[in-house]
Amino acid sequence: MRNKPKVVWIQALTCNGNTQSLLSSNASRFEQFLNQFELVYHPSLTHHTTLNDVLQSNASYDFLLIEGALTSNTQFLTLSDQSSTAIVEKLIKRSHYVIAVGSCASYGGVHAKFEHNDDVVGVQSVVGKKSACKSGHDTINLTGCPVHPEWILQTLYTLKAKGNIALDDEQRPIELYSHLAHHGCTRNEYFEWKVESKSFGLKEGCLFYEQGCRGPMTHSSCNKILWNDTSSKTRVGMPCIGCTETDFPRENMLETKKNIGIPAEVPLGISKRAYLSLTGIAKTFKIERLIGKLIDENR
Amino acid sequence: MKTVDIIERIEGEAKLNLHWKNNRVNDAYIEFLNFRGFEYMLEGKAPLDALVYTPRMCGICGQAHLLATVNALEDCYKNANIELHVTAKAKILRELGLIIEIVQSHIKWFYFFIMPDINAASMTPRKEFEPLKGQQWLKAQRASSEITKALALFAGQWPHTSYMVPGGVMCDPTHMDMILVENYIDQTIAYFEKELVGMEMQNYLTLSQTDDLKLLKGDIKSFLKMSFEQSLEKIGQSYNRFFVISDACGFHKGKIRLKNVSKFEMNKIKEHDDFTFELNSKIQKKEKYGWAKTVKYDNLFYETGPLARAMTQNRRFIKQLHKTYDDSVLTRVMARVDEIAYLLQTAKTMLHTLDISEESYIAPKTALKEINSTFGTGFIEATRGALKHELIIHEGKIKSYDVVTPTVWNLGPGEKPDYGVAQKALIGLNSLQEATIVLRSFDVCSVCTTH
Ligand code: SF4
Ligand code: SF4
Repeated sequence: MRNKPKVVWIQALTCNGNTQSLLSSNASRFEQFLNQFELVYHPSLTHHTTLNDVLQSNASYDFLLIEGALTSNTQFLTLSDQSSTAIVEKLIKRSHYVIAVGSCASYGGVHAKFEHNDDVVGVQSVVGKKSACKSGHDTINLTGCPVHPEWILQTLYTLKAKGNIALDDEQRPIELYSHLAHHGCTRNEYFEWKVESKSFGLKEGCLFYEQGCRGPMTHSSCNKILWNDTSSKTRVGMPCIGCTETDFPRENMLETKKNIGIPAEVPLGISKRAYLSLTGIAKTFKIERLIGKLIDENR
Repeated sequence: MKTVDIIERIEGEAKLNLHWKNNRVNDAYIEFLNFRGFEYMLEGKAPLDALVYTPRMCGICGQAHLLATVNALEDCYKNANIELHVTAKAKILRELGLIIEIVQSHIKWFYFFIMPDINAASMTPRKEFEPLKGQQWLKAQRASSEITKALALFAGQWPHTSYMVPGGVMCDPTHMDMILVENYIDQTIAYFEKELVGMEMQNYLTLSQTDDLKLLKGDIKSFLKMSFEQSLEKIGQSYNRFFVISDACGFHKGKIRLKNVSKFEMNKIKEHDDFTFELNSKIQKKEKYGWAKTVKYDNLFYETGPLARAMTQNRRFIKQLHKTYDDSVLTRVMARVDEIAYLLQTAKTMLHTLDISEESYIAPKTALKEINSTFGTGFIEATRGALKHELIIHEGKIKSYDVVTPTVWNLGPGEKPDYGVAQKALIGLNSLQEATIVLRSFDVCSVCTTH
């Protein structure tokens, strides 16, 4: 690969969230990225190149990054007078790697819930899992709504250095998506001993039992590579809504679905029966430290 | 003569359709051709799911949408006669989140969106403002991502957190978390002082005369030099009517039509779709030219956003600039930069009144999905101006959801002679370069315009 790989970023049906996420990345990492890669085109950022310039040139690009879901339906989206699908089909042939940035680009995401357009899809539905890009590398999905900026940067750096990245069944980089959002959550001990959070707005308790937390079923490194270098949803008290999984957005995201008081879904990799007996045992222990306030200033 | 240009670097894409006569624009249409249909998506959903959906209407203004949704859902309780308690702490943590979002967005907008164009059009363009490379561009990215960490301390992440919920907030920050928040705010104040205006913020906030522009240093000085060179104080004027929808964050709700701020009646805000595409493309009429809707107050177009807020709030410096230069590009940009200082100061005051020992969240007595029928509205000032959410709940589900975004106020379509706000500002200009800068001065966000 050239010294400075060329990156083209295009946007289709999107809220701009992944771009905002990228712009919120750690500043020295972002600056390093700008030094080591050549961002040829980004609709919000570059000044000297337009989408038309990119489409009309014959240049090849190392990375084609796509933010947002695609549609061939020009009634709902045209970019430079053509459909987003047509644009991607053209650019893919001139690109070495194709990366779907965010859940929308990966599988349609939120935008696929718009029922009046039955043609809202992710990139791989248009270009195939085995994509027709120059390197022959499979389409890479960086799911997340939005995707963590570090996941974008680490994927680009890895491909630059190694030329190849191992993917899971959903075409996501294994190293980034093998962890569950649950790993590294500061509420883990509460989860272990089945101490539920009594309500929103508390440091204490796990959000799995009432607030709908999907941490134990969601592949993402949100609690390993912290957001804005600082925190994560579950650390502050917001349940994980599973935005890196293909069933996002689901229904009733802020409550736990239960059958006769028992969570309808249990953590990945354990049978429901086993989980329930474990829960029963764990609940018999009363761990003083996990019952009271974590920080009691009136002590 | 007619020209059609595709405008990028506005958070999405728009088409600028200009009609020229004697080398001046004599008719202008702005087309937004991207539609995602959030209002339709929300129909039939559980009310609380709106907290997850609406921030995704706009990745730039997610906190504003979240707060508008929460306000609307809390209003649903009120209209169902169910008492709700929200502590002062929760309210502060919500508004603080919105303030941080606005501040970082203003920094980005100035350096990433408006300055590159003004710089490129200048006779003496400066390297430091060049996108992706220039030192000042890079510093702006650093400053905006730094202050976003303050938000992550109690919201978990940005963009796209849903930490606000009817009854309060989901987080429970510690004293140290909030001290850290203040540290990041102070750091941003230092950035503002050193890079943007070249003077102490407290001194900056005492400026009150047009002449005081001469005292400014830093990047604002470069901006002003380039602006006067390009006569940006003379272009971009529209109706000189301003609209602010909410008092949160210390703003003053009201409208200005001729001179003074006056109250408004919510029911005089009317949205229409005379120029807006139909979902069913078979019945499209030819006067329809984009996905944006039109919103008016008492049948008149009003400008919303930072300039409107400075006007209703009576912020002296901007009011004087407006007296001298009207609602021009220069005044509009200055109002946005000025708001950074105002909001950072407000954030400091809020932090000092925050009582961390209060509850973050007090559960409502009834869940929204158990309410048979109710309705609610939520109003909030987003980065770009007035934002309104309105919904009806029926049998525990969302029956309908309607959103009026700030960009609909400013960029919504009209037709000769009753032009929309930005449309009117384009009439009479004499180059595409000018038209692009004028359009950009309204901080165009196409995703938010059509939603
Ligand atoms: S995945 Fe999320 S952030 Fe990304 S475009 Fe879709 S809604 Fe926006
Ligand atoms: S809150 Fe969620 S992520 Fe954290 S421990 Fe509980 S289930 Fe896991």
